[in-house]
Amino acid sequence: MDKISVRQICFLFLAMMPLTKLILYPATVSYWSANDLLLSAALNFVAEGAILALLLLLTKKTEKTFFDLLRSAFGKIGAKIVYGIFALYFAFSALLPVLEHKGFVLQILYENVPSILSFVPLFGVTFFACIKGFKTIGRTADLAMPIFLLSFLGLLFLSVMQADYSALLPIAAAPPKRLLQGSLFGLPWYGDSLCVLFFLGHFRNEKHTAKKILFSFGGGAVATLLFLATFYGIYADIAVKQQNALAHISKYTTAYTSLGRIDLFFVFALTLVSIFYLCVPLQLSVHCVRKIFDDCNPVFPSAALNLAFLVLVIVFNYSYLKIQTLYTQRLWWIYLIFCYALPALSLFLLLFRRKDKTLLRFEQTEETENKNAAERAPSLLQKKMNVSPKRAQKSPSVPKNNERGAS
Amino acid sequence: MRTDSFHISRRPLKSRTEVFKSGIPFDFLKIYILSVLEKIVILPHERGKVAQTCDVETNQKTKKKSEFSKNLQENIDAVKAILTAEDIFLFEFCCADKTAATVIYADGITDKELLGTLAARPLAQKNAPKTLEEAQKSLLFPETKTAQSLQQVCDEILSGNPALFIDSIPGAVILGTKKISLRAVMEPQTSITVKGPREGFIEDVKTNMGLIRKRLKSPALQFETLQVGRVSQSVVVIAYLDNIADKKIVKEVRKRIQAIDIDGIPDSSYIGQFLAKKPYSLFKQIGSTEKPDILCAKMLEGRIAILVDGSPIALTLPYLLSEDFQSPQDYFVSPYRATISRILRLFAVLVSLYLPSFYIAAQLFKLQLLPFGLLMTVSGGIQDIPLSPSLELFFLLVVLEILIEASVRMPKYVALALSVIGALVLGDTAVKAGLVSSPAIIIVALSGISAYTVPDLTGTLSVIRITFIVVAGSIGTYGILLLTALILWYLISSDSYGTPLLAPFSPLIPKDLSDSLWKTDIYDLNTRPAVLRGKNKFRLKIKNRGN
Repeated sequence: MDKISVRQICFLFLAMMPLTKLILYPATVSYWSANDLLLSAALNFVAEGAILALLLLLTKKTEKTFFDLLRSAFGKIGAKIVYGIFALYFAFSALLPVLEHKGFVLQILYENVPSILSFVPLFGVTFFACIKGFKTIGRTADLAMPIFLLSFLGLLFLSVMQADYSALLPIAAAPPKRLLQGSLFGLPWYGDSLCVLFFLGHFRNEKHTAKKILFSFGGGAVATLLFLATFYGIYADIAVKQQNALAHISKYTTAYTSLGRIDLFFVFALTLVSIFYLCVPLQLSVHCVRKIFDDCNPVFPSAALNLAFLVLVIVFNYSYLKIQTLYTQRLWWIYLIFCYALPALSLFLLLFRRKDKTLLRFEQTEETENKNAAERAPSLLQKKMNVSPKRAQKSPSVPKNNERGAS
Repeated sequence: MRTDSFHISRRPLKSRTEVFKSGIPFDFLKIYILSVLEKIVILPHERGKVAQTCDVETNQKTKKKSEFSKNLQENIDAVKAILTAEDIFLFEFCCADKTAATVIYADGITDKELLGTLAARPLAQKNAPKTLEEAQKSLLFPETKTAQSLQQVCDEILSGNPALFIDSIPGAVILGTKKISLRAVMEPQTSITVKGPREGFIEDVKTNMGLIRKRLKSPALQFETLQVGRVSQSVVVIAYLDNIADKKIVKEVRKRIQAIDIDGIPDSSYIGQFLAKKPYSLFKQIGSTEKPDILCAKMLEGRIAILVDGSPIALTLPYLLSEDFQSPQDYFVSPYRATISRILRLFAVLVSLYLPSFYIAAQLFKLQLLPFGLLMTVSGGIQDIPLSPSLELFFLLVVLEILIEASVRMPKYVALALSVIGALVLGDTAVKAGLVSSPAIIIVALSGISAYTVPDLTGTLSVIRITFIVVAGSIGTYGILLLTALILWYLISSDSYGTPLLAPFSPLIPKDLSDSLWKTDIYDLNTRPAVLRGKNKFRLKIKNRGN
C-alpha cells in the first residue's frame, strides 16, 4: 500500500502549506482587511485547525482508508461517486495555484517577456509526479523541509530589517465585515487539511500523532503570520499592489549590496518547493480517479488531467484576475463545503457499520484464504524442514492470522 | 629417484585431421546445414523442430560419452573428443608397478611444476592405487576431488585444474593446480588515499576472497559461488555476512544472477547491469569499489558484495546516493574535517551542475542574478563574442569532454603535448580569437574540475550538466528549477533493492544522518544504517570509552 509517515505529513504542513500563502494572498488579504490582515488569516487558520483536529480524531478511531469508510457507509458505487466528486474538486482547486504560480514565474524569473511555452514544461513534471503515489508526496515533503526552512528564514532575515511593524497597529481597526470578507475570500488558499482525509489508512497512527501534526500545522501558521506581518510592515498602505510578495519582500536589503540579489536564490529554492506543492492536489485528483476505476494505471488519468490543465492555462493565459475574482468572491462556498463541511461530516462515517455485499464477500474470501493459508503453512513448513506437525505449528515463523492492513 | 618411470609426452591432443575424424565437427556441420535448410525450406511453424532433434542427438552422444571407462585410453579418447583445442596436453607417466596414468591439462593455466612434484612423483614412487579415494590419499596434494562426469572433467581442465586418469580405475581425480599469472595486490588507480590501507582487488576472484577473509575472520562471512556465461563460465561470488545482511536481498541477487543467460561475462559491470532494476537509469543503482577495506566496511553495514572472476571491481548492494559523497579517508581524519570535506563535495557537485546553467540563465533571462560589478566585468568579457551564451558553453563543455576522453585513453608520453594543446591552443587562442569569452572558460573549467570531487558520479554529472545547459538556454531559470524538480522526483521514487536511493534524506532517517552529509564521532556511529534493514542492529558496544 502507498504509505506516508506521520513525520512527512508534519513536514507537509510545516514546509509546503505556508508557501502558497506567500505569493498573492498577502496582497489579497490586505485589500480586504488592511492592517488587520493577521486577524483574517488567523481566523482561517483557527477554522482549518479545528477541521484538522476533527480529522485527526477520525484517524484515531479507524485504520481504514477514506474509500473503505465510504464503501462501508454507501456501498462501492456510492464511494466511487464521492471520490469522483472529490477528483473534480481537487482538479478545480489546483487551477488557481497553477495560474498564480504561472504569473509569479513569468514575472519574477524573467526580465524579458517570456512566452507561455516557458511555463508549459511544468506539466511534464506534474505528469511524472501524478503517476507516483502518496509515498512520493511524503518524500518530497522530506526534501522540501530543509529547503523551505533555510530559504524562508533567509528571506525573513533579509526583510525584517526593513519592516515597520507598527504599521499593523491599531489592531481590529477594520470593520468586522471586512475581516470576515478577508477570511472568506481567502478560502482558496486554505484547505490543505483535506489531504489528511485521503491519507487516512495510509499512515500508521503513532504515539502523539495528533499532537505532532497539529503542532506542525501551528508552526506553518506562525510562519505564514510572521511573513504577513513583515510584508505589511514593509509595504503598509501600498501592500495591496504588491503582488508576488515573496520575491519583493527582501529586495530592499540586497539590491544595493555588493553581493547583488542573493535573495533570489532563496526565491528560486522556494519556487522549487512550490513546484512540489503544486503536484499535491493533482496527485490527489489522480488518486481519486484511480480509485473510481479500481486502481487503474495512473498514466492515463495523469496524462488526461495534465493535458486539460495545459489547455486551461493557455485559455486563461491573460485572465488570471478574472479567475481569481471568480474563485475568491463567487465560488468560495465550494471551498467551504469541501474543506470544512465534508471533512467534518466524514466523522459520521464511523457511525455506519453497515457492510455492503461486495465488501462482505471480499472480507469473507480473505478470511477463508487466511484460514487456508494458516492451515497449509504448518504442513508446508513440516515438509520443507522435515519436522513434526506439532513443532511446525509452534514455529513462530508461521503467521497465525494475516491481518488486513498490517504493514 | 625413479625418474625413468616418467614417460612425459607433451603433445597437443589432436591434429586437425584427427579432430575431423572424430566426428564432432560433422555434428556441427550437420546442425549448420539443417538450420540453413530449415531457413530455406521448412515452414515457419516447423522451424526449431530440426534444431531440437539435433540437440537431442548431441545430448545423447554426450550422455554416452560421459560414462567413464576402466580403460585409460578410452577415457583419454573421450576427453579428446570434446577438447580438441591445441593447448590441451597429455602428461603420461607410469606408477611403480608400471600401471599407466595420464594427466590432461590446459597449457598456460596449469602449474606444471606442482603437477610433477606433488601429483605425478608420489604416484610414480608407489604402486598404482585401486580406487579413486586411494589415489587421492596417495597424492601429496591439498586440493583434489573426484569427477562425477566427463563434462565436469572437461570444465575443470578448461578452468586450469588437470584431470588424472589411472588405468583400470573408472573415473578421474581433479587436481587443483590452477595457475594464472596475476598482477600484484596494489593500490587501485581509481581510489587513492593519503591515509588508509593501500590494497586493492585484482582480477583473480580467489585472491579477492582471501583479501576479504583476511579482514573479516568470522564464520558468518559467507561466499556463494555461481557460474555465469555459457562460454566464459565465469565465477561469480556473492559475499555477505550471514548475521547482518538482509537475506531477502541475497535471495533476490542469487535469483537474478542465476537467471542470466549470456555467452560471456568479461567484467563485473556486466553483472551490475543485470542486477540493476532500471537498466536505463541515468543514476547508478549498484555501488562499486576496488578496495577490500571499503568493501568490508560496507559488508559490516549490511550490504552484499558481488565478486566476478576477471574483474578487480566488486559490486555492492543496496546502493545509496550518499555513498558516493563518502571517502575512505573520512574515517581516518577528525569528524569535523570529514564533515567539511563532505559538504565541500556536495557544494562542488552543485557548482558543477548549476554554475554553467545559471551563468546562461543570468545572461539571457535574469541579469539581476549578477552583482553590478561582476555584471560589468562579464559584459566586458562577452563583447564581440559571436556565439550565444548557451552555444558558447555547450561548445566549451564538449571540448572539455573530448579532452577528458582523450586523456584517459592516450599514452602517457602524449599527455604533455595534449595538455599544451588543450590549455594553450584551445583555451588561450580561442579567447584571443574572440570565439569564446574568458568568463565562459573559467566557468567550464571550474565546473569540470568540481565534478571530479565525486569521481563515481562524474559520468552522470556530465550528462545532467549538458541537459541543464540546453534547458537554461531555452527556458531559463524556471527550466533549471523544473529539471531539478524532475530529477528529485525521479530520485525519490527510485530504489536499489528496496532501499531508497536518496536515503537517509528522503525518506528522512535521522539516525542514519550521522554518517551521511556530516560525520559524527565514532561512538555515535554505534548502529548500522537502519535503511539497509540489516539483522544485527548494533555494531559498537559502548561499555566505557577507555577512561
